[in-house]
Amino acid sequence: MQSRILPYLLTLPSLFLAAIVIFWPVWDLIQIATHDVNRFGQLREFSGLANFTELFADPDFVAALWRTGLWTLLVVGGALLLSIPVAMILNMDFYGRGLARVIIMLPWAVSLTMTAVVWRWALSGESGMLNSALMKLGLIGQNIQWLASAETAFPMQVLIGILVTVPFTTTIFLGGLSSIPDDLYEAAALEGATHFQQFREITFPLLKPFINIAIVLNTIYVFNSFPIIWVMTQGGPANSTDILVTHLYKLAFRIGKLGEASAVSLVMFAILLLFTMIYVRLAMREQRV
Amino acid sequence: MSLAKWTVGLLAGMSMLALAAPADAGEVRVTVAEYSAKTGPYFEAVKKEFEAANPGITIKYEVVPWDVLLQKLTTDITAGTNADLSIIGTRWLIDFVQQGVAEPLDSYIKPEFKDRFIDTFLSPSIMDGHTYGLPIAASARAMYYNKELFEKAGIAKPPATWTELQEDARKIKAQGAFGFGLQGKEIETDVYYYYAMWSQGTEILNKDGTSGLGTPGALEAAKLYKSMIDEGLTEPGVTSNNREDVQNLFKQGKVGMMITAPFLSNQIKEEAPSLKYGVAAIPAGPTGARGTYGVTDSIIMFKNSKNKDEAWKLLDFLFTKEQRAKFTQGEGFLPVNKEEAKMDYYVNNADLAAFTALLPDARFAPVIPGWEEIAQITSDAMQKIYLGGDPEAGLKDAAAKANGVLKK
Repeated sequence: MQSRILPYLLTLPSLFLAAIVIFWPVWDLIQIATHDVNRFGQLREFSGLANFTELFADPDFVAALWRTGLWTLLVVGGALLLSIPVAMILNMDFYGRGLARVIIMLPWAVSLTMTAVVWRWALSGESGMLNSALMKLGLIGQNIQWLASAETAFPMQVLIGILVTVPFTTTIFLGGLSSIPDDLYEAAALEGATHFQQFREITFPLLKPFINIAIVLNTIYVFNSFPIIWVMTQGGPANSTDILVTHLYKLAFRIGKLGEASAVSLVMFAILLLFTMIYVRLAMREQRV
Repeated sequence: MSLAKWTVGLLAGMSMLALAAPADAGEVRVTVAEYSAKTGPYFEAVKKEFEAANPGITIKYEVVPWDVLLQKLTTDITAGTNADLSIIGTRWLIDFVQQGVAEPLDSYIKPEFKDRFIDTFLSPSIMDGHTYGLPIAASARAMYYNKELFEKAGIAKPPATWTELQEDARKIKAQGAFGFGLQGKEIETDVYYYYAMWSQGTEILNKDGTSGLGTPGALEAAKLYKSMIDEGLTEPGVTSNNREDVQNLFKQGKVGMMITAPFLSNQIKEEAPSLKYGVAAIPAGPTGARGTYGVTDSIIMFKNSKNKDEAWKLLDFLFTKEQRAKFTQGEGFLPVNKEEAKMDYYVNNADLAAFTALLPDARFAPVIPGWEEIAQITSDAMQKIYLGGDPEAGLKDAAAKANGVLKK
């Protein structure tokens, strides 16, 4: 009997902590999202799901929702594809590896906002570094106005997103790679396996749990990432680069619709929760087999 | 890592406790907007002088960048941890008044005090006959033009009408520079459009209280800007240039004309002292109508302040002629104090004279709830048009949205 209660008792303290840092704010958000609120967050009458229906009737929100999906997919996918070879190279033994590792990790040490500010300057149409570099190389004959429209701004934002996600992802993969024993490769080489076969049969399967972790953590992180888009375009021009967080920020602090903003944040919370649950379930089922 | 997290958490917790604790008697907390690098030092000097003259009162500042000021105030007020005084954009004042956050100052204001102000700048802070704020900063907009480019292009004087402006822009373009700097990003993108709209005799709100965006005048104005973009008379990539970006192009001598605030003069003095420029009126429309944007920021007292008398003493001190002159001249604003405006600094300043001459045509942001949302709607509509969208459809859509907000 006692041994049955014991596990629950033991988890109680951490549950209590989780309640404070997670459940309480979420409860607060639910309160705000289901009420008519003024711009200073004071609740007025209960309004049910009115804030939510208002949201889904807003084409800007729906567009931001899809764009957030695209943004997350491209940044996380791109970072994964780039990080696997980078991690494999950094895992090899070569002269200057320490320096190479530092260079790859360096962007991580710089604040994301600062990175975005520097890129905003670099992408400036008339005095930006990128344009003058491309011009000198003879690749373009005329300045490109990178941030003037979503067609050029959003791809650049995705590229920068990938760039700043690579260090973290590479770190995870490096940890994974170093846990693969060398004798596996030696044995495979003796059997005459090519490099590609070694990657497909040894590296990739053994790296899988780490890839899963990288996908879940990066998705949560990128989905919620605010600075790159906010600093460079503030979601503009005309909301064409908005993702959910920037849309939320504008709703809450520009326009003062705290109710709708809270609804957005609950929608985001629900999406991430659902994604994580489904993904973890799938990943674990795979591992059991 | 986890230890660091704990320390951060603990510190955050402690600072929350500190904020929640009742304020010390005689302590006045002020939220200050950071206009420039000079704002902080100015207010520190005020603290020294004021505290020396008023023993028993201490001042505590929170200096916040403009961009996050409204966010900070929102969260502070929600949590009940707001300061005693705060600088706010006067266009936000109506929300503060309607929600009962701002304290009316009428009981403190003596006729002598009220008489210090230039009426144009005090009136936006008065609502329903009560004064809720004092204009800590005032500004207007006028047109800057590059004299060197004008000379090269053979233009004798700054354009008086938009038609002349277009012609001048063509001549400047022929010299390899950008004729007219058009702002198309971030704060005041809507305002930049109003300059053209006002010159068509159209106001932000029609007389019946509906949005002016649906009127023929609004369409004319949008078409004017769009045609200038299409003709290459503006800088390229309009929607990637915010006010500072266009100002930078002007300082580099790449732009012939642009409309902005007096503080550009101060910036040119420091960053591009060799630039030859002039300040002129905003061009007029076909009927001679013209408008500039007048802005004031107000300093308000919060209703829940526990040290109102001490806070008022500080306000009284801030609005003396000497203090005003120091602040206004440092930041490059317009004088709000009558006596201050008579000082040599303002009287002999040609740039500032151009601004003050425009004041009779100044429009302030309309005092309506939901104004920020309408500004956002207008900015979005303009960006779409600048990117090549159809002006008529864009404005119709924006007018419908704005009217939806106005009806609430």
